[in-house]
Amino acid sequence: MPQLNPNPWFLILSSAWLIYTLLLQPNIMSYMSMNKPTNKNKITNTNPWTWPWT
Amino acid sequence: MNLTFFDQFMSPQILGIQLVVMSLLMPSIIFPTQNNRWLTNRFSTLQSWAIHTFTKQLMLPTNKKSRQWSIILTSLMAMLLTTNLLGLLPYTFTPTTQLSMNMGLAIPMWLSTVLMGLRNQPTMSLGHMLPEGTPTPLTPTLIVIETISLFIRPLALGVRLTANLTAGHLLIQLTSTATIALLPTMPTLSLLTMTILLLLTALELAVAMIQAYVFVLLLNLYLQENT
Repeated sequence: MPQLNPNPWFLILSSAWLIYTLLLQPNIMSYMSMNKPTNKNKITNTNPWTWPWT
Repeated sequence: MNLTFFDQFMSPQILGIQLVVMSLLMPSIIFPTQNNRWLTNRFSTLQSWAIHTFTKQLMLPTNKKSRQWSIILTSLMAMLLTTNLLGLLPYTFTPTTQLSMNMGLAIPMWLSTVLMGLRNQPTMSLGHMLPEGTPTPLTPTLIVIETISLFIRPLALGVRLTANLTAGHLLIQLTSTATIALLPTMPTLSLLTMTILLLLTALELAVAMIQAYVFVLLLNLYLQENT
């Protein structure tokens, strides 16, 4: 069975792990967005208003 | 020399250059890098929706500390799914049929869940060796059995993926050889065999997706046990 041939074992293993960690994980990380930034720096001045009792 | 049925699993090389690296690079090509736009194109939107849904579903039952594993498990699922599905195309090589890759992925991941469990909560992790409610005389036997089953896990994880994909590819090759061989002499039987081939290919599609999922799901399970 050619899968049991130990010759390319190390190459397949190491290349699989290297490609997985160095290429795929940053790729998938770019799909997962972090929490969207909230704009809490603006202070909104609200003008108080009264009900027009007429 | 005659081509045997197992030669499709030989790691291909041209002039000494191993081509398995090229088939391993395919998943990163299929998932294009996202940019930070609000609205991207349809492909990117679909992929990000799929990844988000999968990660949510997978990491629901885990506790807060093990959510760090979501990137590991999701990218692993993406890689396995893509390599399995691409291997169903004609004349492609599936790197997940190689024991080296699957064992190389399964053993470190399983070992890291076990070591995490032993490091952070050693009593709980060792307590998994004895299920609740066992009668007292059975305790020594059961501990031995549970330890053996713990150590079999990485082997089972790796070999399951390898064996399922290898068996599928082999079956497809066998039935297609039978179809071609029967064509000149018994064309009706050849047509029947071709129907079997089509059904087998549909099964292989399902198996490819399911096996990738099972791999990741079991790792998630081992993670939940140990955190």
